[in-house]
Amino acid sequence: MMRETRIRRVPMALSAAGALALAVVPLPAVLDAFRPDFLVLVVFYWCIESPRAGGLSLAFFSGLALDVIHGVVLGQHALAITLMGAWATHLRLRIRVFSVLSQCLTIFALLTGYQFVLFWVDGATGNPVTTFGRWLAPFIGALLWPVLTSMMGKIHER
Amino acid sequence: MVAFRSTDASGRITGLLFRCVLYSLLALALIIVDKRYDHLGKIRRLLSVAAYPVQVAVASPFQGWNWFRDSVTTRDVLRADKAKLEAELRLAQFRLQRYEALEAETQRLRALRDKTESVTDRFVIGDVMNVDLDAFRERVLVDKGAGDGIYVGQAVLDSGGVFGQVARVGQLTSEVILVSDAAHAIPVQINRNGLRTIAVGTGETNRLKLPYLPTSADVIAGDLLVTSGLGGGFPAGYPVGTIAEVKRDPAQSLADVDVKPAAALDRSKELLFVWLKPQAAELLAPPKAAAVPKK
Repeated sequence: MMRETRIRRVPMALSAAGALALAVVPLPAVLDAFRPDFLVLVVFYWCIESPRAGGLSLAFFSGLALDVIHGVVLGQHALAITLMGAWATHLRLRIRVFSVLSQCLTIFALLTGYQFVLFWVDGATGNPVTTFGRWLAPFIGALLWPVLTSMMGKIHER
Repeated sequence: MVAFRSTDASGRITGLLFRCVLYSLLALALIIVDKRYDHLGKIRRLLSVAAYPVQVAVASPFQGWNWFRDSVTTRDVLRADKAKLEAELRLAQFRLQRYEALEAETQRLRALRDKTESVTDRFVIGDVMNVDLDAFRERVLVDKGAGDGIYVGQAVLDSGGVFGQVARVGQLTSEVILVSDAAHAIPVQINRNGLRTIAVGTGETNRLKLPYLPTSADVIAGDLLVTSGLGGGFPAGYPVGTIAEVKRDPAQSLADVDVKPAAALDRSKELLFVWLKPQAAELLAPPKAAAVPKK
């Protein structure tokens, strides 16, 4: 169990930066609502895979980056992603032994929680998003989870 | 700080709850400070500079592709484009011939009534950056910021009409909120009869609505809506959209009016940032004491 935490910092930062770029890559307007929260998935992955490397700090600062890049109230994504990242860290031992389906369901719950916090902060700060579109992202994200884990696993086993 | 990144003898992570609470409180504090007070403007401006490389990195492949496509277009395409542009220019010049005379006449008439309307003074062209901000809000990022003199609330036009206004300014970039955003409203009047109302965004790119017109209001499909210039944010007389549909339900007191925006909200790549002439600002100042009716 004694893995070096220092080595993981580089793939961690790189994957987070890549996911951040994916969060703003222009998509056709039709697909835009289906865009999964890549960065959140990556943060969950690191929270579960190597929690000692500071997954929660990664979560907070990733959230802050999302706030700046989306131009919403500072702290909104940071709050949502910190809370859900902590939950993922708490569940990590269970999630690791889950079957793929149960993993997906757990991630779906976490992503929905994330959207809910965003939704709540949107409402509390007085500019609610009333379309149902935002609740699609957790579905897509959960479907993407197995792909992401196998991909990330391959990258950092090297 | 022992609590950070530490494990106890059995390998369990300690301080997870502590860190979670700490970061959450920090985030909540940020939300409250950012929402309630104006102190974070500078920090946000700096952070937006930090985000700039990411945005440029994302946008540049698309720009590169556009550049490539432009540079390999065939002669025929260029000739067709040129012919089209010349035809458009001829038409525009033809319309412009009367414009000078009309503007002078308008100013003279307004002077008679001791009123001047806010007129555009100068403008700067900004390019829409190829990044998606938020799928559920109608906003775009433009590559002009505080460094170019852009300010919050500035009117933004495109070649078709009113596009939106500046919502947030960074050092190098600014965020423009489109007229179709659900949080946007713009004072307008119907060009045909001068009826004033407010056009509100719906969150759908190609639809605005006029929610405050009574069912008896004189409005028909096809009417042109222009900015009224009231409120001072927008110059007067620019097209906002055309009435697409008017639904009148006798049981309701208000009509249900859909508007098709005049600007190409989902296609425009070049936007005009407009400065109003200073005289407009004077007009908007609260009325002098002399103007207040005496008792």
